[in-house]
Amino acid sequence: MTRRCFCAACAAGTLFASCGKPTKTRLALNWKPDPQFGGFYAAPYEKQGLDVEILPGGAGTPTVQMIGAGTAEFGIVSADELVVARARGNDVVALFAVFQNCPQGIMAHASRHLISVGDVVKEGTLAIQRGLPYARILEKKYGFEHVKLVPSPGGDISAFLRDEKFAQQCFVMSEPLQARHSGANVTVFPVADIGYNPYTTVLATSGAQLKSDPKRAAAMVSAVREGWRAYLDDPKPTNTKMHDLNPSMDASVFAEVAEAQKPFIETAQLGVMTTERWTTLIGQLKELGDIPNAMPAQDCFRTV
Amino acid sequence: MLKKLLPPLIPFVVVTLALEWMVRAGVVAGYLVPAPSAVFRALLDNRDELAAAMAKTSAGALVGFSLSTLSGIVIAVLLSSSRAIQRSFYPYAVFFQTVPIIAIAPLLVIWFGYGMKTVIASAFIVSIFPVIANTLQGLLSTDPALRDLFRLYGASSTVTLVKLRFPAALPQILTGLRVASGLAVIGAIVGEFIGGAGLGSVVDVARTQQRVDKVFAAVLLASVLGLALFGLINLISALTLRRWHASEQETI
Repeated sequence: MTRRCFCAACAAGTLFASCGKPTKTRLALNWKPDPQFGGFYAAPYEKQGLDVEILPGGAGTPTVQMIGAGTAEFGIVSADELVVARARGNDVVALFAVFQNCPQGIMAHASRHLISVGDVVKEGTLAIQRGLPYARILEKKYGFEHVKLVPSPGGDISAFLRDEKFAQQCFVMSEPLQARHSGANVTVFPVADIGYNPYTTVLATSGAQLKSDPKRAAAMVSAVREGWRAYLDDPKPTNTKMHDLNPSMDASVFAEVAEAQKPFIETAQLGVMTTERWTTLIGQLKELGDIPNAMPAQDCFRTV
Repeated sequence: MLKKLLPPLIPFVVVTLALEWMVRAGVVAGYLVPAPSAVFRALLDNRDELAAAMAKTSAGALVGFSLSTLSGIVIAVLLSSSRAIQRSFYPYAVFFQTVPIIAIAPLLVIWFGYGMKTVIASAFIVSIFPVIANTLQGLLSTDPALRDLFRLYGASSTVTLVKLRFPAALPQILTGLRVASGLAVIGAIVGEFIGGAGLGSVVDVARTQQRVDKVFAAVLLASVLGLALFGLINLISALTLRRWHASEQETI
């Protein structure tokens, strides 16, 4: 095990990742510190006997592979990523789903008077990560023949602001807000509306980690649950902390996003996942051809 | 021919087999590093898509490289014409070398729009400096005795440039082009990450889908493109230098 872990870590290019018994628990984020991670920054890890180091990410941080390689014990992934990873032999398991409803969507200029997401692809430009499952669901459903596809600018809205016929993928409580601040009038089409609704910002770990140290995973989930409760009740102190780490995002935006994301997070019980939802997702990914075979939904997540 | 091909082929075969064994034996997880056989399969399965992408990347890299070759040489000739010009403008040429292309790539999209122009601009920016630096170095290192000879015969500065300084600088120019050729490929792919299309786009999509095999297939093709450009420069080098420069003679 140790040898395999060492080689895997080296392969991932992280020679410094220690593979002995790490005293620190690493949590890899897939984006910079911002409100979608609020609860993780608010969590009282010490109370659970954990020494957690949060590793901020950026566009394309491969958290799923990092978890598999052991470069981080825990990481933030999205449910669809996790299913695809499992199909490729990467034993990653979900523990706590922050966003119960997928916060991803497509934003367009309101001046276009679009009724549905199908209208977005009838003309103009669409900036989207084509590898994402929902991009291909859109393509299957509506076709991309009439729209110019360009890579997603990852949170940057300058191209959107300059072009009335430009639409882009977004986090529904993030980019649209920025656009409105810049004086644009926007319409947002959540991806969930086309029936694709994977859990997003999901705390995950590897099967091996879960097996070797189940107590740590349980402690982590307790701390995270408490952190999210605290953050939803009063985001202010954590926002200040995150703003220090990510000063390029305005303090006022932190507050606004924290408020706007609440309905996506607080549905039933915080973090809870169901076999039903995972089964639906697995079916959708199978139909898209992203995974060769369906897999048991109950293997994808664990309640600890 | 075989004598030339064999030495580089041996490490290739050894590394490929070792990697294949490591993945199959489970020493390295296949979702982190793909088995060479998986990369080969990805190449075959996606050959149409990859061929089209390769053609686009080749075009972008080649145009960017040609532009940086032409303008790099012209700029170096201008810089070499006077000390004052050189002192005033050379620092700005250095600027191109230090541009973090990843950071300004999103701006390129705003200036040049999505598509080919952005890719060409990116390839151009990262590949022009080695051309300028090496050409300038070459132009400034003409044998003083030969220069005196040209002066003695009353040759004009244009004639001196064309008949003496430029040919004498060729070895250095070609060194600059070798460095620039690889950089142009990298620049094109970075441009494609932001501007869309080509191998850069394939890598981006495959990465999102966690298809490491396809990522490596695209990377492999990018290397092939870099090698092809490198080979082209070597060919030009052999043709132009064979008769007089030690570097292209069989003695080494």
